[in-house]
Amino acid sequence: MKCIITIELGTNAVRVFAFDLNGNVIGSMKGHYPTFHTEPDHSEQDPEQIFITMLFVLKNLLNDNIHVKKYKVDCICFSASMHSVLAIDKNGVPLGNAITWADNRAKKEAQELKNSPAGKKLYTATGTPIHPMSPLLKIAWLKNNDPERFKQTNKFLSIKSYIIQQLTGEYLIDYSLASATGLLNIRTLKWENDALEFAGITADRLPGLVPVFASAGTLRKAYQNSLGLPADTKIIVGSSDGCMATLGAGIWDEGKATITIEDSGAVRVVGNKVLQDEKQRFFNYLLTEDCYVSGGPTNNGGIIFEWFARQFGDFKNPFDLEHSMEELFSEASKVPVGSDGLLFLPYLLGERAPIWNANARGVYFGLNIKHERQHFIRAAIEGILYEVYSIGKILEEHRTISSLSINGSFASIPFCTQIIADMFNKPVSLRQNSHSVGLGSFLISATELGIFKSLDEAAQTVELPDNYTPQAQNHAVYSGYFSIFERLSTKLFDEFEAIATLQQKNASDQNSSKVYSKIKLT
Amino acid sequence: MNQFVLQHGRSPELQLFPHITELGAKKNTSIRLNSLQESATDSIRIYYVIEGKFEWHIHQQQYMLYPGDVALILPGQKFGSEKGFLEIGSLSWIHINIHKLESGEMIPGRWSSLSESESLTIGKILFLNNSLVLSKLNEAGRILQYVQSELFNQEIGYGTRVNNLIDELFITITRQLTRQSNPARNFPKTFMQLEQTLRQNLSHQWTVEEMAAVVGMGTTLFNEKVKSYSGFSPINYLINIRISEAIKLLKKIDASLTDIALDTGFYSSQHFSTTFKKLTGYTPSEFRKNHLPNN
Repeated sequence: MKCIITIELGTNAVRVFAFDLNGNVIGSMKGHYPTFHTEPDHSEQDPEQIFITMLFVLKNLLNDNIHVKKYKVDCICFSASMHSVLAIDKNGVPLGNAITWADNRAKKEAQELKNSPAGKKLYTATGTPIHPMSPLLKIAWLKNNDPERFKQTNKFLSIKSYIIQQLTGEYLIDYSLASATGLLNIRTLKWENDALEFAGITADRLPGLVPVFASAGTLRKAYQNSLGLPADTKIIVGSSDGCMATLGAGIWDEGKATITIEDSGAVRVVGNKVLQDEKQRFFNYLLTEDCYVSGGPTNNGGIIFEWFARQFGDFKNPFDLEHSMEELFSEASKVPVGSDGLLFLPYLLGERAPIWNANARGVYFGLNIKHERQHFIRAAIEGILYEVYSIGKILEEHRTISSLSINGSFASIPFCTQIIADMFNKPVSLRQNSHSVGLGSFLISATELGIFKSLDEAAQTVELPDNYTPQAQNHAVYSGYFSIFERLSTKLFDEFEAIATLQQKNASDQNSSKVYSKIKLT
Repeated sequence: MNQFVLQHGRSPELQLFPHITELGAKKNTSIRLNSLQESATDSIRIYYVIEGKFEWHIHQQQYMLYPGDVALILPGQKFGSEKGFLEIGSLSWIHINIHKLESGEMIPGRWSSLSESESLTIGKILFLNNSLVLSKLNEAGRILQYVQSELFNQEIGYGTRVNNLIDELFITITRQLTRQSNPARNFPKTFMQLEQTLRQNLSHQWTVEEMAAVVGMGTTLFNEKVKSYSGFSPINYLINIRISEAIKLLKKIDASLTDIALDTGFYSSQHFSTTFKKLTGYTPSEFRKNHLPNN
């Protein structure tokens, strides 16, 4: 029997799945690796630890699920978080840690570029919003602030490029992941000269561009031996986690959108044209040559509800956050749709799409004397989902969306899924035990192996069994409140800036005087 | 309240209890200069605030203490007020001599009826914890009061009871420390803290019990949480860190394999080599040759 392995190098962990050739999962394992925040805006990961963790997890999965059952591994396909940057020297040795998508050190560079005509041009050419997450700005930051490392750098890689190079010796990046670097022209599929110039590099400092289906070479002998894999095991470069999740959610036709909400979230659509947006609110990433995944990301997904649960949840059983979150959901369900007019703006982490305002902050609005604790809970959940809806609304300015597909741990909580259906007033389909990223990688591999004739055919096979129908009555209630939510989100611009400035100032004052207050019991 | 100070060597009440170096309670009604200058001792010092507000400097950090709070000062740590005087208010305290084992670990001492393993765990949690101020621990104040009345009344069985009360005090404080750090509630944060501690002491031969103690959790719960969060058993996760660090050293520094092995926590270069090869398929020297073509 043959099988396909998919490896997802995610934000906090590597997830490895094994599929049989019919797309059934025959095994899966994950391994966590840490993110280091040595300075407030920094977010880094150790490339060697990611590599070792990946190798360890892959080896365990092969030993426990694959070799014992006599499966033959036909291919291994990769996917990874977008926007990472790893500098390596002339020997291929990493110069420090990899910089992840969440790193904000280049915020000054980003702000300057975004408001300039050059920034607008670069956004139009590359499809990547001008934001500190973008490798374009991270490399520019290194040039300006870490000239020693910049000078020693032979190549700027993505984490996935490094992992693949360790396994096979090839320095590669797929068009899909490259289209999220801010350096690739998404129409000509070449590195964009203006972007390279802004970053201060030439194209030979970047890995070689290949399609997502490309083979990444042969596993090094030592890994063939330690993993028990033959030399002809195909290593497929693959795509980014975002594009794979979209494909794995069966979103391939215009008219559909996918909503992913884990800690953070995104709303995505697929089409054969770039979404041009004057206000630079969307990303446009390539999956294949003629297929663009467009959409908007939010910072404030399930992580905000988790924050809420930690602060206000009941911890009779002190060891269980999940339990406390379940309780909160059951309390929230006792409050009518719309939380009797209590609104929550969930911007605790600043916000990306659609308002792209790092200074945005959380707000409860509309509080009256009849509101109770339960209203706060429901309003928090609704606020997180209004924000996702606001991304969907601006996408609808460009595309007609007739149905939604949901994935991610927060969005797939039935209570949330129903609210999403009601807010959007569209039917929602959901796959339980979702592993969309792995499934997307499987579809790419299976297409490359000739099991499907095309990605179109492959995407058709994704089954989306659980359907939620919108309730017109609820939609009317949400629509009324949403227009206030939307106006508040922009109207408060000046006040967001004022409070964020004060918060930053006071935080740095406290740091410098080194007064530690005692730790409060919660 | 009764004001008093008992000191070892001076007060007959403490004759039976050589491990108690000082016990006292004080209502401070006026400020006297130089009444609380910074000092370090060999004892573990525990202060309980009954009334007032105290701004203390403990182990180079400034803390504000309010009624019900406990300050815990470990042997060798400096404690005092930056202004040099004791503020107005009431407090009680105890200083206890703690026993240092040859291995460097601290345990309460022979007088204690805690079991050996519980003593070790308590010692570890006390010494690995960075929060030296515990909020709202009225229980500690009550225990100090009981100790005092046992010592003054000397009723039958008081010798045993005083020591039991001190055990009780250690247990109460340790439990509060683990609760205050809230290890399982915010496990990602706890795990990050563990990761940092492991990386700082990578050459140490960690046991699972020690790792669990670092984050103040029971071993069973700890195992379960680490496995479900990281996908690895605690020991395998530690091996990940060791090999990752070893790879960096192999690629960068011209250090001997034995040095790298010991620095990253392997027993020997043999143990390093076997573990490394099992995971990567390369021996460390093959790996080095393969990845540094220019050396």
